[in-house]
Amino acid sequence: MNRLLTYLFRVALAAILAFITLPLVVVFAASFSPTSAVTLLPSEWTLKWYAALWDRRWLDPFLLSVELAVIVSLASGLLGVLGAYSVAYAKCPGHTAIMAFLLSPMSVPQIVKGVAIVLLLSSAGLYDLLGTPGLVMAHVILTLPYVVRMAATAMFGFDKRLDRAARILGASVAQRIRYVLLPLIRAGLFSGMTFAFIISFNNIPLSVFLVRPGQTTLPITVINHLEYSLDPVLAAVNVASLIFILGAIVLFEKIGGFSAQIHGGSK
Amino acid sequence: MRYTALCAPAIASMVWAANGNAETLIVNSYGGPYETIIRERIIEPFESKFGIKVIYDAVGSASQDYAKIKATNGRPGFDVVVMTASQSLEGCKEGLLDELSPKEVPNLAHLSSVIAGVAGPCGAVHEVQYLSLLYRTDKLAERPNSWNALLDDGLKGKIILPTFQNVMAAYLLEIYSVAHGGDLLENVDPGFAAVAKLAEQSIGFEQSSSVMETYIKGGDVWAMPFWNGRAQLLVDGGLPVDYVLPKEGSIPLVATLNVPKHAANRDAALKFVNFFLEKTSQEAWVTGYKVGSGRIDIEVPADIRAKQITTEADLKALLLPDLAAVATRLSAWGERWERDVVAAAR
Amino acid sequence: MAVITCSTPTKPLRAVPAGGLLPLIAPSIVLALFFAIPMGMMIGISFQSQSAGGLTFASYSRFFGNDLVLAGLVRTVIMSGLVAVCVTVLAYPLAYYLARATSRWRTVIFALAIAPELAGVVLRTYGWLIILEDRGFINSALMWTGLISEPLPLSKNLFGVVVGLTHVILPFGVLSLLTSLQSINPNLERSAQILGASRLAVIRHIILPLSVPGIVSSLLIGFTMAASAYATPALLGGAGFKVMATMVYEQVLFYLDWPFAAVMANVLLVLMLAAGFVGSRLESRLHQKLHI
Repeated sequence: MNRLLTYLFRVALAAILAFITLPLVVVFAASFSPTSAVTLLPSEWTLKWYAALWDRRWLDPFLLSVELAVIVSLASGLLGVLGAYSVAYAKCPGHTAIMAFLLSPMSVPQIVKGVAIVLLLSSAGLYDLLGTPGLVMAHVILTLPYVVRMAATAMFGFDKRLDRAARILGASVAQRIRYVLLPLIRAGLFSGMTFAFIISFNNIPLSVFLVRPGQTTLPITVINHLEYSLDPVLAAVNVASLIFILGAIVLFEKIGGFSAQIHGGSK
Repeated sequence: MRYTALCAPAIASMVWAANGNAETLIVNSYGGPYETIIRERIIEPFESKFGIKVIYDAVGSASQDYAKIKATNGRPGFDVVVMTASQSLEGCKEGLLDELSPKEVPNLAHLSSVIAGVAGPCGAVHEVQYLSLLYRTDKLAERPNSWNALLDDGLKGKIILPTFQNVMAAYLLEIYSVAHGGDLLENVDPGFAAVAKLAEQSIGFEQSSSVMETYIKGGDVWAMPFWNGRAQLLVDGGLPVDYVLPKEGSIPLVATLNVPKHAANRDAALKFVNFFLEKTSQEAWVTGYKVGSGRIDIEVPADIRAKQITTEADLKALLLPDLAAVATRLSAWGERWERDVVAAAR
Repeated sequence: MAVITCSTPTKPLRAVPAGGLLPLIAPSIVLALFFAIPMGMMIGISFQSQSAGGLTFASYSRFFGNDLVLAGLVRTVIMSGLVAVCVTVLAYPLAYYLARATSRWRTVIFALAIAPELAGVVLRTYGWLIILEDRGFINSALMWTGLISEPLPLSKNLFGVVVGLTHVILPFGVLSLLTSLQSINPNLERSAQILGASRLAVIRHIILPLSVPGIVSSLLIGFTMAASAYATPALLGGAGFKVMATMVYEQVLFYLDWPFAAVMANVLLVLMLAAGFVGSRLESRLHQKLHI
């Protein structure tokens, strides 16, 4: 019975992973196709689309997107932990309502948030905030709910007696945060910040209103190109940026054993 | 942070470009192949003639650009924007765009009054395309010369239509309306009846022109309505396709240059608009991007003249709806499209 | 940051100073400035009239009196509900594996589960279109084997959208569940097994109840992300499948009727705030029951 369950579980895992990778395979195959007609097994293969990427037209937006995503995930990580602390750990009066408030940005279509933020900036006369500062603010609003949610989920499972023990033993507030709270919610924080990175890195609907002329993010560059032609260079852009980011993660891991620490959880 | 270190020189150079000593101008238009052509034919000559640095901003479609102008109340961060006559009219009415006069933009006087009237006082018409009938030369036995060709039994399941939120759809509706005894505005019932029949033929609806394009490239679709400038790009790309202006006529897509009300570099913007309307620039644009012009005094090769709108006679043959009136009806037409046309496709 | 709690096990709730609210200041200011105020402006816009000045309920009555819009609202709720369930069901085994596995495969599978998200939503949706459309891979393959003679309607309908959205949102479901599953002490499972509980009983009585916060998270995130997604429903749903998010886009960009768009956005916001509130309530209820 247990063996059958294990077997079934593995089959299910394989099927789910296949589902996840399937459309990626199509994009991957398309990036090597010399024409824009997409087939799973192109008769000819080419690397010309990848060669075309080594150009400021694609590199600058890529770097801007990465920079933005890093700043956004750090900022929303910090704000998110603060928010989650009040809601999930301290259980302040009305915590359900506070939680609903913190999560509310998730519930508004992004184009509305985009227009609303531009309306605010322009009616306050803050035109200079268009560009990176505006993008960071808007993306943080977008990602904050996810970090709050993830950090709160981790804190719900947090054993408060550990913190009380530390306090009784005379640990300072800073020490309790550093040695008790943070290690225990690390998994949730990591998940939340991953969310934030991904959401910021992919965002189109908000960014389109907030980028500064001549300084665009990668998805915006892709969508602008798409408006005029659906060619394989777009597939190549996506595959290349994906590989770059995965490479960065692997490198981090090789250097610092980052992942073992991060998703070590309670093991 | 390493990323920041990598980015810093790139951003610094842009900031320098934006704040440097040279006069700058921010032009918002489109990306892709369009960007290559406009840079080579218009922007680089403009920069070398006036010594003004142009920052090219390919962000957003025309409707997103308009939304940005509206949300910022005429201060969107770019100085010149490429939109269409409908948006020129709307923006003028809402006070979001600058009115352009021949005093400040002398070349406006050379535009055909027929076409300049379509765009109103805030839009400088720099390009005219029309809704053409694009077809596969290897699949259709003969060249279609009527919009009714799309209703042929032989094309069942071989055509595709735009969604209503692509302005092509409203124009198509009006064209069919006129072809079947209705008119451009008040009596569009015949148009809806005909387009509903088209929907039964159609394999579906697509919003984006570049997606519609993939169907005809792949051979799943044999004929469809398409802007002739983009149709010409496909012909030039070596695809076995061609396009016609059917005998019932067509509605033009009038592209305009607009200057937002509070543009930061207004003088340079007006210079740019005027430069784009120069005879030589119009000739360069018409031969480069293969579209028509609002200037009827330009000299272009005969093969281009044959397929593009370049003469007074060409302009007069077009159907010209009152775009401001169309705008007030879009919402009602959109709902009727859902009920009559989309429902017929299923 | 003051770590004085609002409710500790030793003290009754109301006797405690609201020091736990202190950390809330920073996120609240950010949210108020860049979300609440702009949204307030949008709410103001929803009472404006397209043509004349003054305040009006015209857009609201138009919303609730229009069968096409209401059908879109119902469609949005059904679609988002299905996506939330699909995401959670598919994400659960994956998250469970990631929470418990120790082998080298773990990192690989983690990367596989998250990586697709970095490839951009629009391109992946095109990928699905190529797989699902009438002449797509699946239909071609099935027709080639002779199993079907007419292509199955896999795209341009609810099915296609749910598949596409589930794919886009799945990694977020995995992360939500992972957080919660990792905080379950593995010794609980081990001791239950030692005491003779079957694998199924362990899942049923230990893992599932303890991962309730993660399940609620995943459902909630799945629902809200699906309801506000634009690109996937637009591409995979086609002209016959309009949801609230696509309608809002049309009003903002094409019809330029911002008051009406604001009404749609507000209705969506209220709907999802309600869903979020119910979710949180449910979660704390279950928590109290489980004595955590």
